[in-house]
Amino acid sequence: MDHRLFFVLGDLAVNVLVGAVAGWLCALVIGVGWNMFLAMILAMVIGMIIGTLFFFPLGILFGAMEVMLPAMFSGMVSGMVVGMWAAMEALGAMDAFLIGGAIGLACIVVIWVINNTVRGVTTYG
Amino acid sequence: MDEATQRKWDKAAPNFDLMAGAGAEKRWQPFKEELFSHMQGNILFLALGTGLDIPTFPKGQTITAIDISPKMLEVAQPRIDDYEGTINAEVKDVHDLDYEDDSFDQIFTSCTFCSVPNPVGGLESLRRVLKPGGELFMFEHTGSKYYPFKIMMDVMTQLTRKIGPDMNRTTVANVQAAGFELKEVNSLFMDVVKTIKAVKPDLK
Repeated sequence: MDHRLFFVLGDLAVNVLVGAVAGWLCALVIGVGWNMFLAMILAMVIGMIIGTLFFFPLGILFGAMEVMLPAMFSGMVSGMVVGMWAAMEALGAMDAFLIGGAIGLACIVVIWVINNTVRGVTTYG
Repeated sequence: MDEATQRKWDKAAPNFDLMAGAGAEKRWQPFKEELFSHMQGNILFLALGTGLDIPTFPKGQTITAIDISPKMLEVAQPRIDDYEGTINAEVKDVHDLDYEDDSFDQIFTSCTFCSVPNPVGGLESLRRVLKPGGELFMFEHTGSKYYPFKIMMDVMTQLTRKIGPDMNRTTVANVQAAGFELKEVNSLFMDVVKTIKAVKPDLK
């Protein structure tokens, strides 16, 4: 992860926001009793679209790939969880927003862990 | 000259700094400064674009910089003028370089091979104009080999290709396919944003 405070806070804000909006939107679209698999796929697509839409304005402030990939990931996971939840039981808009935001927060932490594992120097020859 | 690519980047030029000039550049600045600190000798830089990389160049260098888009270089001109050294900017297509063989000591690229239509062909062209033993330094974003990010980047490429770069290039493999000897890959963000150092083998 980038240790500069501006980017740490930016990463957190982007992913919590994307997760919350994706969750809220999926809870609005998906109703109780929907086929679980259909709800999951639709919610993942909605979440990724939300992540992409937020990337364009927020990427201007906080970076390119470092914003795009986590935002799409947070949107996808948040949408999937909230969408499947909404297919099982009625979920209020505020609940969906908060659950989505929490999932967005968890997703950026996962991205930071993956990044710290994958990044680094490889030398050849 | 690839006129379709030239038109695409001419069209992107007026708003390019808005999208790429703030967050991305601030994020990447320390890594670019480190990479470009290796500049010495007769240097070719591509693609200069609007010159966002120029403030990260070490002072006092003489750099030949090319870009396929004349509109991009128009936007870059004030930054070229401000550079404390010499930048000779020229409109050229990397696939069609008219420099003599073995002309340059070093070649630098910055977010270039996400956009070059034939990346291996472009890299072969660079290898031709680089001196034997000469160094290639690249700052590039590539695709990811990890799921679900690979799928995301494949999907995004379908959107971004029309207005700008591809998101899923295999640039490290392309460098090797073009005949360079890979020296170092430094992954800066996951396996997506990276610096690549390679040399043209000296076969003598």
